[in-house]
Amino acid sequence: MNKRIQTALSQAAVSTFESMGFLLPTRELDERQLKAPAEASVTVAFHGPVHGALQVRTFGRLLPVLTANMMGLMEAPSAQLQQDALGEIANVICGHIVTFLTEPDAVYSLDSPKVSGPAAAPGKEDGSLEAQVQLGIEDGRTVVELRIFEGTLAP
Amino acid sequence: MALNILIVDDSAVMRAMIVKTLQISGLPLGELLQAANGQEGLEIISKNWIDLVLADINMPEMNGIQMIERIREDSNTAHIPVLIVSSSSGQALSDAVQRLGAGFIHKPFTPEQLRNQIIQITGVSDEQAYTNSSFSGGGFDF
Repeated sequence: MNKRIQTALSQAAVSTFESMGFLLPTRELDERQLKAPAEASVTVAFHGPVHGALQVRTFGRLLPVLTANMMGLMEAPSAQLQQDALGEIANVICGHIVTFLTEPDAVYSLDSPKVSGPAAAPGKEDGSLEAQVQLGIEDGRTVVELRIFEGTLAP
Repeated sequence: MALNILIVDDSAVMRAMIVKTLQISGLPLGELLQAANGQEGLEIISKNWIDLVLADINMPEMNGIQMIERIREDSNTAHIPVLIVSSSSGQALSDAVQRLGAGFIHKPFTPEQLRNQIIQITGVSDEQAYTNSSFSGGGFDF
């Protein structure tokens, strides 16, 4: 994995969950967070000098809280809105991290977020894993992974 | 002047977040209208008085750049200030923003950043904004 991008991905994931979801992620996880069951998965593909995808998976029951916080609601919104919320989180993290991959001014286009099954962990055929971040949030956790399909990263 | 603002974003959650941010920004607000893509946005603009458009870039059916080009082509709507709200970046986007006479704000943003950008592109005075403000500053951003 690429240490520079790993650091940038960690900072982007923490600040996005904090600023958009009003949640406080921790880099150290407790037993309960580590054992939380898979909840949802969203992938945002990006295209530019480097092609790849950013995947955000959640474990536990994060999405109802995340979505209610983002929308300023007291109750959990619908399942569709919960997926929408996770897609926006992934979109913002991806938009941030692509600026670290090559030249800062390089042009990247992002696809719309795609929802996959809750336990949809990517395999080796899904490109090389360049960075992975796991954060504890409330009683669950999130795993954010950056994979590159084609192209060369800046050193 | 109360601003009638059209928010164009394919994410219902993002639209709700922008509405919430505007409501605490202290800006003088009129109607807050919403559309899920550029085509819907143009239809709303054709039927309503709009003072400001906040538009995402990546949307199905008609993206934000295409919608702004259509707004600029129509003499009835060419004057409407547009602020692009996007998680994308890069020189091509900056060039498009400049060419279309739009403003740009990167997601995530704070209420102060959004308010300052809107003041800059609409000409609503700071005084008008603060007169309407119950916003107390930090600790809350998107």
